Amino acid sequence: MKYSIFSLARAALSGHKNWQRTWRDASPKDHYDVVVIGGGGHGLATAWFLASEFGIKNVAVLEKGWIGSGNAGRNTTIIRSNYGLPGNTGFYELSMKLWERMEQDLNYNSMVSQRGVLNLYHSDAQRDAYARRGNTMRINGIDAELLDQAALKKMLPFLNFDHARFPVQGGLLQRRGGTARHDAVVWGYAHAASELGVDIIQNCEVTGFVRDGNGKVTGVETSRGKIGAGKVGMAVAGSSSRVAAMAGLRLPIESHVLQAFVSEAIKPLIPGVMTFGAGHFYVSQSDKGGLVFGGDIDGYNSYAQRGNLPVMEDVCEGGMALIPMIGRVRLLRQWGGIMDMSMDGSPIIDKTPVDGLYLNAGWCYGGFKATPASGFVFAHLLARDESHKEAALFRLDRFQRGAMIDEKGQGAQPNLH
Amino acid sequence: MSNSAIPSSTIRMEDASVAEFSWDIRSPIERALVVGPYGALGEAGVSLTEIRNFDLVQVMARRGKAAEMTKPAKARFGVAAPEMPKAVSTADATLIWSGPDQFFVLSKGGKHTTEALVQTFASSASLSDQSHARVLISISGPKGRMMLAKLSSIDLHPDAFPAGAAATTSMDHTSVTLWRGNDRPDGQAVFNVLVFATFAESLWHTMLDSAAEYGVEIGHSEDLA
Amino acid sequence: MRIVCPFCGERELSEFSYLGDAKPQRPVANAGEDAVYDYVYLRDNVAGVMAENWYHGGGCRAWLKVTRNTLTHEISAVEPTAGAGAAKVGA
Repeated sequence: MKYSIFSLARAALSGHKNWQRTWRDASPKDHYDVVVIGGGGHGLATAWFLASEFGIKNVAVLEKGWIGSGNAGRNTTIIRSNYGLPGNTGFYELSMKLWERMEQDLNYNSMVSQRGVLNLYHSDAQRDAYARRGNTMRINGIDAELLDQAALKKMLPFLNFDHARFPVQGGLLQRRGGTARHDAVVWGYAHAASELGVDIIQNCEVTGFVRDGNGKVTGVETSRGKIGAGKVGMAVAGSSSRVAAMAGLRLPIESHVLQAFVSEAIKPLIPGVMTFGAGHFYVSQSDKGGLVFGGDIDGYNSYAQRGNLPVMEDVCEGGMALIPMIGRVRLLRQWGGIMDMSMDGSPIIDKTPVDGLYLNAGWCYGGFKATPASGFVFAHLLARDESHKEAALFRLDRFQRGAMIDEKGQGAQPNLH
Repeated sequence: MSNSAIPSSTIRMEDASVAEFSWDIRSPIERALVVGPYGALGEAGVSLTEIRNFDLVQVMARRGKAAEMTKPAKARFGVAAPEMPKAVSTADATLIWSGPDQFFVLSKGGKHTTEALVQTFASSASLSDQSHARVLISISGPKGRMMLAKLSSIDLHPDAFPAGAAATTSMDHTSVTLWRGNDRPDGQAVFNVLVFATFAESLWHTMLDSAAEYGVEIGHSEDLA
Repeated sequence: MRIVCPFCGERELSEFSYLGDAKPQRPVANAGEDAVYDYVYLRDNVAGVMAENWYHGGGCRAWLKVTRNTLTHEISAVEPTAGAGAAKVGA
């Protein structure tokens, strides 16, 4: 069904009893042109772009749980394109442009809110680094403003400007950045893809790959039977290594746990997204009023979907250093998602050495903002067998070639990103 | 020289106004430590005392020589050096476990300095003088354990951490060596913390924050607890 | 998650640093680029029981080999790493 003011009025007149399901809960067919493993944001976006941009509509998305059951349902919802390295800058701006038209594209309210993303700086050296990042962004046609302390005092008078160790000196602001409603994004892609004929198959776990005599992947074994496929794309985030292992591949990826936190609702305080530059803490405020915040990964391999107290303490210390007034706000809930940490902190969107198998992985803890562009370039790769130009550097073999995209400048160790 | 008309670039080094160094031995927390009461008024719940001017030697077995370190240690101190997290006191020294195959020798008066111990451990262990590298803080008082519990994840209940118990651990993200000495004559427990000199002021402030609600009696002493 | 250090006893997680999978061995000097690539970048990324290196930096500064289930965080064994300078492992 198409959502509009008229469908809303019609539904209201009939007492809201005639709403149709947002997407069809499909059962698997014998064969698809493309099977996408993983019904998160990236997998669903890939399927929608395959159907809408590349004319491939005989597509299935296989999800072992239900749509929204993983990281797509519980992340900190930030969208931004403030990257400084070739490979990342253009890609994330492509994503930002797709966010800006997403709701019209999908006929779905994904609550994209360009409320601004502000990275604070606390030293002269950090200011210089942000000035350079901002220049890089502007050269690439991306909005960026370097704000000084006086400007910030008007915007955010409650910050701890005179902190003895980490005084807030200013920040790099991208006004077009902001937030989007995480689960409405996957629901929107599921809705729009399903409308175009894509089968979204939940509770369907991939247990192996079907290979022909030449080793080419020709389908998948699943908990709901064998499904044939012309091509198979993997978009399974923290499960990347486990699924790749079924095809005999080892990846330059470790799975780590990242915690996200939500406080009780308070009155409007934080207008946009804000990051502390001296510790790892970032925060925004949801439309319901809760502070949504997070920090570092816990730092050890994990598939457990829960974290531990030391990082929680570290994140809260960062929050207290930056905004002492939130000290008495109570923490409402917390969750740990499994991140596919690549070795340089940047993603991998590439063919694999296995014919017929394509990889979309290594998003670390920044996958949400990439959702639309990730789907678009992965669909491009699956449809045309060549990388989209904005994803040309996200190669699987870049570690072997020494062509890392080390945005954080911390070297090639997953627990540093 | 300050009124000289000579351009500064021609001032000879020995005439220049450079910082005057004092080589007096001073406590790393001399500025932070203010003797007297702190925090809540009334009878102090916590006593924080910095112990000054001690000899502290780290003894670490050389690779594969841990067993050979035992005998000379016993001959020297009259007791076996601790092989697990414990502190052992003799008449003139305290031996504190500081990790596998290593311990501290804490003493006063120059009897157990590095120079004095070097022969004892010549064939088994390496020595490192830590006398000026650490600050020693002694914590006692009826609320001393309550205050430490806020900083430490170690179970400090008397059943779990009796007199003579020791731990290498962290407080407020700072590495410390913690041990419980002999109780005071009035029966109160005494906890001792060795902390790296450059981290000491930070930990001292944290301890003051933690202890303020109980009232603090701040002092320093030349005597080992 | 707490780790029972064989030297210090049970300690909170923040006293320890993680250095990942204990299985990969540094290749010999002339092993070639593929072996180095494999050692530096590729991971088994075990989902289940895994032997790992941990460092008790906030405590006794011993290297430990911890056997831990990455699906549950359950720790089944902690041993000193060989060569950690500990008599217990006959270094």
